[in-house]
Amino acid sequence: MPSSSLTAVAFFSCTKIVMNFLLEGFIQAFHLLLSGNAETYSAVWATVKVSSYSILSSLLIGIPLGFCLGYFEFKRKKPIRIIVDTLMALPTVFIGLVVYAFLTHRGPLGNIGLLFTLPGIAIGQTILALPIVIGLSATAVESMDKKLRIAIMSMGANRSQLFLSTLWESRHGILAGSIAAYGRVMTEVGISMMVGGNIKWHTRTVTTAIALETNKGQFGMGVALGLVLLTIAFCVNLSVSLLRRRY
Amino acid sequence: MDTPIYEIQSLNHSYGDQTVLSIDHLTVKPASIVGLVGPNGSGKSTLLRLLGLIERPSQGEIFFNGHQVQPFSDEARFLITMLPQEPFLMKRSVYNNVSYGLKLRRNGKDIAGKVKDALSLVGLESEDFVRRPWYALSGGETQRVALAARLALKPKVLLLDEPTASVDAASAQLIKEATLRARQELGTTLIVASHDWQWLYEICDEVLHLFKGKIFGRGRETIIFGPWQKLKTEKWGKILSDNQLLQVSSPPNQEAAAVIDILSVSHDLPAATGEDIVLSGTVSRLSLERKTGRLFATILVGDFPFSVGIDFEQVKEHTIFPGETIFIRYRPDQIKWI
Repeated sequence: MPSSSLTAVAFFSCTKIVMNFLLEGFIQAFHLLLSGNAETYSAVWATVKVSSYSILSSLLIGIPLGFCLGYFEFKRKKPIRIIVDTLMALPTVFIGLVVYAFLTHRGPLGNIGLLFTLPGIAIGQTILALPIVIGLSATAVESMDKKLRIAIMSMGANRSQLFLSTLWESRHGILAGSIAAYGRVMTEVGISMMVGGNIKWHTRTVTTAIALETNKGQFGMGVALGLVLLTIAFCVNLSVSLLRRRY
Repeated sequence: MDTPIYEIQSLNHSYGDQTVLSIDHLTVKPASIVGLVGPNGSGKSTLLRLLGLIERPSQGEIFFNGHQVQPFSDEARFLITMLPQEPFLMKRSVYNNVSYGLKLRRNGKDIAGKVKDALSLVGLESEDFVRRPWYALSGGETQRVALAARLALKPKVLLLDEPTASVDAASAQLIKEATLRARQELGTTLIVASHDWQWLYEICDEVLHLFKGKIFGRGRETIIFGPWQKLKTEKWGKILSDNQLLQVSSPPNQEAAAVIDILSVSHDLPAATGEDIVLSGTVSRLSLERKTGRLFATILVGDFPFSVGIDFEQVKEHTIFPGETIFIRYRPDQIKWI
């Protein structure tokens, strides 16, 4: 048999295997969700809980900082902006390593006892999301029309009303940044694995469960969990889209 | 005597090293209409932003109703409003844009009624427009909604920066009517920057001429801007579009502005006398100055409008009306340079 025919056969075999994985994954995903599989729902719940903690805290800290970075002119603004933009690409395993070092029993924050807990993962994920929220909020505020300030001030706004109105006007950009941050937080593996330890029923998230199932050779289960993760992301984006349309 | 609504003392405003506005002293009477004219970059918009308390002057003081004020001053922020040159609406519906200032003032009573009244003042049907988002408006509609948002506040001072520059003739007329009605009904002080000199001369109690950040004249003056060229005859001047020579005295620099005092107008070519220069032009407009009751003729010489005060009797006697060719006489040595 000529080599080109062998290559074609190999290609089609591989494609068939992948398609089987995906099909099996779809079926399993429906099965896991509809049958109320406790292990799956534990991982889903852990994912939703930890990503909610981290995104909320990063929004609370990041939006005011991003606003200040985008709105005000001050010395060393540009170097700070470059640092923030660089931190947007922080590798999750590196954050995991640093947070682990701080939270481990011998670390400076070891006595708090947050290692291998969901709040511990949330701290790491907050560090991951914070530069994204700050950077994209700053970009959203910077891109606001300069005429907005004149329009708001000319209507009689005081300083805090000017701040709140500018923030509200840049809401779509800030929301886009928040979704990007939420996506990054929800799909990361490094921090959850290193700081959380992937403990079943406790700190196992959907992404760490996928990693585990893949290591075990359970590709179908991995695909199923991936689809579950995608469903969560879809629900979040749908809610945000409806909110955007409303406001 | 009434306390001036505005008083400016020793004001200087700079962006970086460049001084863009320098006014020693200026007062504005309450309920008056003041026009600002001058070429682009003369400082009109900067002066409006300073009076609107959008920016703080680099040096000097601004007093409002006798109180020294600055951006966010509680004595003034609810009493002064400004309509910027380029229409701008917030990313909200028309209703939320117009009601924004009322909500800032916690002026909660019948906001819907006030929004409706303000929109009708600028010729917009409330039912058709209140729910529209900001992006579903034309340029003229955007400017009128922006003006309605200011009129809804019933301000003591309304600052208008080129309010009719970027809108069609119908919208411009509605904007002009709405601002004048605010003056008549509410006693609002209007300060208007515009290139529409005729409109300003018709409505204003005082017209201030700005050039390079300084006030150099008040009232109807014919101002011709440089550049000037030295002619073969060693005299200075400018060749107009109809090939007439606008001769002037020696300018302090080529870009200086000349304030030309017209000595007389006549139907017939006057006899040459001494240093007098005679130019022919076409009457383009007759207008009434509201403050003095005098008639003014705008005479186009080449492309330059010369403004000349004319007695009513003279208009009747010489039947001066738009379209007539007319001669103007001036003396180059009487030109004031800025």
